[in-house]
Amino acid sequence: MRIEAALFGFLAAFLVPATVIYWIFSEDWTGTACLAFSILLAAMVAYYLWFTARRMEARPEDRPDAEIAEGAGEVGFFAPHSWWPIGMAFGFTVTALGLVIGPFLALMGGAVLAYTTLGLLFEFYVGVNRSQGHTLGQLRAMGERPTSMRKFLGD
Amino acid sequence: MTLLTNATTPVQYRRPRNPAGSQIVKVLTTTDHKTIGLLYLTTSFFFFLAAGLMAMIMRAELAQPGLQVVSAEQYNQLFTMHGTVMMFLFAPPAAYGFANFIMPLQIGAPDMSFPRLNAFSYWLYLFGGLTVLAGFITPQGAASFGWFAYAPLNNAIHSPQLGADLWIIGLLAAGLGTILGAVNFITTIITLRAPGMTMFRMPIFTWNMLVTSILVLFAFPVITGAFFALLADRHLGAQVYDAANGGAILWQHLFWFFGHPEVYIVALPFFGVISEIIPVFSRKPMFGYKGLVFATIAIGALSMTVWAHHMYPTGAVLLPFFAFLSFLIAVPTGVKFFNWIGTMWRGQVTFETPMIFAIGFLITFLLGGLTGVLLASPPIDFHVTDTYFVVAHFHYVLFGTVVFAFFGGVYYWFPKLTGRFLDERLGKAHFWTVFIGFHTTFLVQHWLGNDGMPRRYVNYAPEDGFTTLNTVSTLGALLLGVSTLPFIYNVIVSFRRGTVAQGDDPWGFGNSLEWATSCPPPRHNFVTLPRIRSERPAFDLHYPEAAGNVEFHASPETR
Amino acid sequence: MPGRPTAASRRRRAGLRLGTALALTVLLSGCDVEQAYESALRFGLPEPISEQGENIHDLYLASNAAALVVGVFVLFLILFAAIRYRKKSDALPRQVRYNLPIEVLYTAVPFVIISVLFYYTVLSQNYVNELSESNKDGEPVAADVIEIGVVGFQWNWQFNYVQEGVQVIGETGRPAQLVLPTDTTIRFVQSSPDVIHSFWVPEWLFKRDVIPGRVNTFELEMHEEGEFVGRCAELCGEKHAYMNFSLKVVSPEEYESYIDGLQADPNAEILTAPAGSSS
Repeated sequence: MRIEAALFGFLAAFLVPATVIYWIFSEDWTGTACLAFSILLAAMVAYYLWFTARRMEARPEDRPDAEIAEGAGEVGFFAPHSWWPIGMAFGFTVTALGLVIGPFLALMGGAVLAYTTLGLLFEFYVGVNRSQGHTLGQLRAMGERPTSMRKFLGD
Repeated sequence: MTLLTNATTPVQYRRPRNPAGSQIVKVLTTTDHKTIGLLYLTTSFFFFLAAGLMAMIMRAELAQPGLQVVSAEQYNQLFTMHGTVMMFLFAPPAAYGFANFIMPLQIGAPDMSFPRLNAFSYWLYLFGGLTVLAGFITPQGAASFGWFAYAPLNNAIHSPQLGADLWIIGLLAAGLGTILGAVNFITTIITLRAPGMTMFRMPIFTWNMLVTSILVLFAFPVITGAFFALLADRHLGAQVYDAANGGAILWQHLFWFFGHPEVYIVALPFFGVISEIIPVFSRKPMFGYKGLVFATIAIGALSMTVWAHHMYPTGAVLLPFFAFLSFLIAVPTGVKFFNWIGTMWRGQVTFETPMIFAIGFLITFLLGGLTGVLLASPPIDFHVTDTYFVVAHFHYVLFGTVVFAFFGGVYYWFPKLTGRFLDERLGKAHFWTVFIGFHTTFLVQHWLGNDGMPRRYVNYAPEDGFTTLNTVSTLGALLLGVSTLPFIYNVIVSFRRGTVAQGDDPWGFGNSLEWATSCPPPRHNFVTLPRIRSERPAFDLHYPEAAGNVEFHASPETR
Repeated sequence: MPGRPTAASRRRRAGLRLGTALALTVLLSGCDVEQAYESALRFGLPEPISEQGENIHDLYLASNAAALVVGVFVLFLILFAAIRYRKKSDALPRQVRYNLPIEVLYTAVPFVIISVLFYYTVLSQNYVNELSESNKDGEPVAADVIEIGVVGFQWNWQFNYVQEGVQVIGETGRPAQLVLPTDTTIRFVQSSPDVIHSFWVPEWLFKRDVIPGRVNTFELEMHEEGEFVGRCAELCGEKHAYMNFSLKVVSPEEYESYIDGLQADPNAEILTAPAGSSS
């Protein structure tokens, strides 16, 4: 993860002299503001990646001598399919349309967007998919038995 | 728990009988990066055809002096929407299509980090894009202020039509989709690489997608903010872009701070596609891999500091700063050129369709890049900016990069996506009609611009002397339009009846990990992964003698 | 090969016929051959009529020549690599991954080239953007500098002869004509009451945007008489293509008599205040 941190760090470092020189010679607020905020964004991501990398040992994907077997086991949770994304996109579009057509439409769209966003967030924590959103340890602590061991392979 | 099938046997199956509508449901609810990638690619191609049609109408109008086809206002809508659709709804989504499908395969990941966010990004793009196009069916027509929508032309007084508002919010939605997609790509690349796939072993396409996604994170929020301010001006009585407050220049700075990285956002992924094709068909590794990575990063960083070279004639920008950095950005771009040529050098080059599209790209982008260096110079730019010279320049770089590499990538990865090859003869016919059509259309436009024809003009007078070259340009555009036909036919026919791709690596000399899994790949991409010890793990697996005879299979059982 | 023409050779001959037809069409479509040739040497650039234009013209041609040299060289490399190194056997070529000296070379050489281009660019841009001395009101100090106010509006032009107090406004169907003398420094002060336009005479090899809320100033000196077309070069709405103006460059004596005529003409509007600021 250090190289990724260095990538963002380099971007921030490059933008600093560019911003300073730009401001001194042009005194243009717009460009300087855009550049300055870009520095902050790059530095923020670089710092996050850097201190995360410090807190962990080199992962298999960071080591040139790693074996595939070291990556065995659960990689993560990958939702097999979901209705909520298209619903959210629809809600967002209707809300945006409401910005130019009228507040009534924006409110209706906002309601759809809120409903679908919550639906997406809790999709794997409620109902039949209840167990998928929790780790095995959390499930056992809750007294539940996991419904499927095949998290990696999805459906 | 894992399956023990051998990854190289062709998947034999009968198409199962599914309940009616299940295919549509499968698409609407998909979270599979491969399906989403295919959706992006097909949708972006439809937008390409739509914008191409607009271009054909414009060229039909410009072939001769006089208004024959459209009115002045309609013409303004056409070039606005042509530019908007190409720059927002074709090029970045096409790049995302390739990135979605290929990038997780190239890093050995089972999917993207956020599959549902991925789907959300796609649907936002589709709905946003349709909203933008919906401007055409409103009574006063679509947005007509040019794809850069300069203030004060973009305000409620000068562009009152609903189509302009639909343009803004459609791009807000599509832009949000792009930003979220970039977040997804960066997270996937950082967190889901296979063991041994260090950053400097990633394929060049993946590196380019990483830098592109970073640029998206920096550029798109700026335009999103600018659009919200514009909406406030148009509907809430805000005075953000009021001319008396310097609003005209404010909008230009904000737009181009986004707009310049945007052109690299659309170019870099396709440079990555070319960087995947050339080594495979030269049977050599990418020449100067590390130099290429550093050049890409340099381009990304520099592209954020050159935006006002689009604003030279305003008299309001720091000319030497932007001129120097714009000249400087030509250096890493030139380095990439020599990397590509160096890959072909002393190779065993074959000319299947992906490779000839790559060479077509090299030739076309060369000219476009050189005129770009000319444009970096403010005194030269004072004459040619806002003329057909700059139209020719950007079509050379954009079409040369995006379209040639798009087609090259489609021919190259079609076997991986579908398990069948596209037809070679049709592919070659497609290439030559595109190449000849493109150069006929746009080469003469350099002349027209130098000679004095401004851009965005619906008409010109017979005594201007622009007629001949415009007619030639229109004939070329006709050929370009026709050139899409062999491609569409090829795709439709080859989907069901193309030559079956044998094995994991049908082209024979694939380098990156997608060529170490079946065509098409299984649902979560890999049944088994080879040992990764270089930037070309699939090549090492298939040609161990070239890699020092190290054992590249992950374990003896998977040999 | 003798005998029946193959499909390939038939296609080639058809292509040759088509190519000749196209070339003849272009050549015989009424353009003067010699003029076309000279224009070709300048890549279609008009002959500049101003001092600043000459400067830009020289920079442009030199840069074009450099670009052409680089372009031909790289094109040669591409085609050479494609032809010379096409597949001849099934042997894997040497899997060369890098070559540090060459990589350093092809990074350093372009850097030198663009440095040279940048140097000449700065020289030219400083010359072109130079303004003669102004007093504290922004008026030119030297008495022989003519000040012209340029107002671009939707969809025509207004030219104000500031010191003489007369103006010319274009109407639909009657483009504005700007009459200017040779061998005189002319300062253009421009602004717009509505949207951005751009003030461009191709023979100047120069344009400057006309921006609402902002006053743009530049200076030119012309050395060639004649009549020239001027165009708006920034999208400004529906009739963007219909606001051409005309530039007539005359000797200083003719210019004086033109101004006298304008001042005497009862139809010309006499200004009471200096023009050129945003209305």
